[in-house]
Amino acid sequence: MTTGYHPLVKRLLDGELSLAELPPELRVEGEEALRLVGAADRTPVALSSALEERVMATVRRHAASPGNRAWRWLNTPRDVELRLRVRPWTVWAGALAAAAALALLLGRPAPEPVPGAQARGGTRDSVLVRFVLYAPGARRVAVAGTFNQWDRGAAPLVPAGSGVWTTTLALPVGKHQYAFVVDGARWVADPGAPAVDDGFGRRNSVVAVSALGAHL
Amino acid sequence: MGLEGEATDAEVVRAVLAGDVERYAVLVRRYRDRYARYASRMLGSRDVAEDAVQDALVRAFDRLADCREPDKFAGWLFLILRNRCFAERRRRQRTERSLDSTDEMFAAPDRPDGEYEQVERAHALQQALQHLTPEQREVFVLKHMEGLAYEEIAGVTGATVASLKMRMHRAYDRLRELMKEHL
Repeated sequence: MTTGYHPLVKRLLDGELSLAELPPELRVEGEEALRLVGAADRTPVALSSALEERVMATVRRHAASPGNRAWRWLNTPRDVELRLRVRPWTVWAGALAAAAALALLLGRPAPEPVPGAQARGGTRDSVLVRFVLYAPGARRVAVAGTFNQWDRGAAPLVPAGSGVWTTTLALPVGKHQYAFVVDGARWVADPGAPAVDDGFGRRNSVVAVSALGAHL
Repeated sequence: MGLEGEATDAEVVRAVLAGDVERYAVLVRRYRDRYARYASRMLGSRDVAEDAVQDALVRAFDRLADCREPDKFAGWLFLILRNRCFAERRRRQRTERSLDSTDEMFAAPDRPDGEYEQVERAHALQQALQHLTPEQREVFVLKHMEGLAYEEIAGVTGATVASLKMRMHRAYDRLRELMKEHL
């Protein structure tokens, strides 16, 4: 039965020691270990020249499928024309409601994160959705998602005081995945919204936008 | 061709998402061979590796809208391929396909000096790798075949350097046992 390599020989294989730095009694074992890793095949592997055409043929077929076209349409950024007809009193009522909501949030006993996505209005194709995050100590916050190609700089939130950050975006009708980006690097799922696994160990929040508003 | 070569991954990703499906071929050409060696060594077969790379590229296209950081498309694609390789290993273990039957494996490299012993040893190592756990095999492949440092491996796999070293050191011991007649 072969025993394992001496810890110093393993450090040799890791590149942390040279053969000359091993004690003389370990040099033979070290040479044997180097023969082992030296047998590693580092020659490049070339795949079939037909692979590219196979991938593109599949990709074209997927792109042409109705479901994929719809998904792509939902995710394609486009200019949204907003035609909001408002009366002056609605502006004041809106401002008062926002102030009341903020006061309610700040009056909470514990600094719980504030759920994002509240619908306000918009056009037939888009709905205004308000994103709110409680992030005391953050220097900047943005929201990135499928609606802006996960661009971390496209939709910054503005500080509303006491650690609350907010912004309002016009989102096209459909289901969107998103996350907040704190200080340009840290991805934070919306604690107030349902989340899905993105397939790579991270959580994306989800908001569904219909002509009637946004639904978490 | 020049323009294609100059376009960044992020530019190509955004063009594809905007509807220019044909631009995806730029990414296919750019990455089709980059991860081929990793997939081949992980799966023990170039044919199986080719299927894995093809599936990963198609899956990346299907999920392109989920790519949060298009300028890091390469790393994102690697994660998809890595998941695909691990899933393939699990599938093969479930179907009890013998990992010894890797005669389909690529030939051992030609050595300039043509030493039979070295060619045999390379072939033996390739077979021995298939007896490691997928995690041990991966760290060996990335370090000793792809030439990555532990810190770089930690960056692409999400594991800590300490746990990677532990896996690797166990792999060294296991490989020594498996290769004792060839060393």
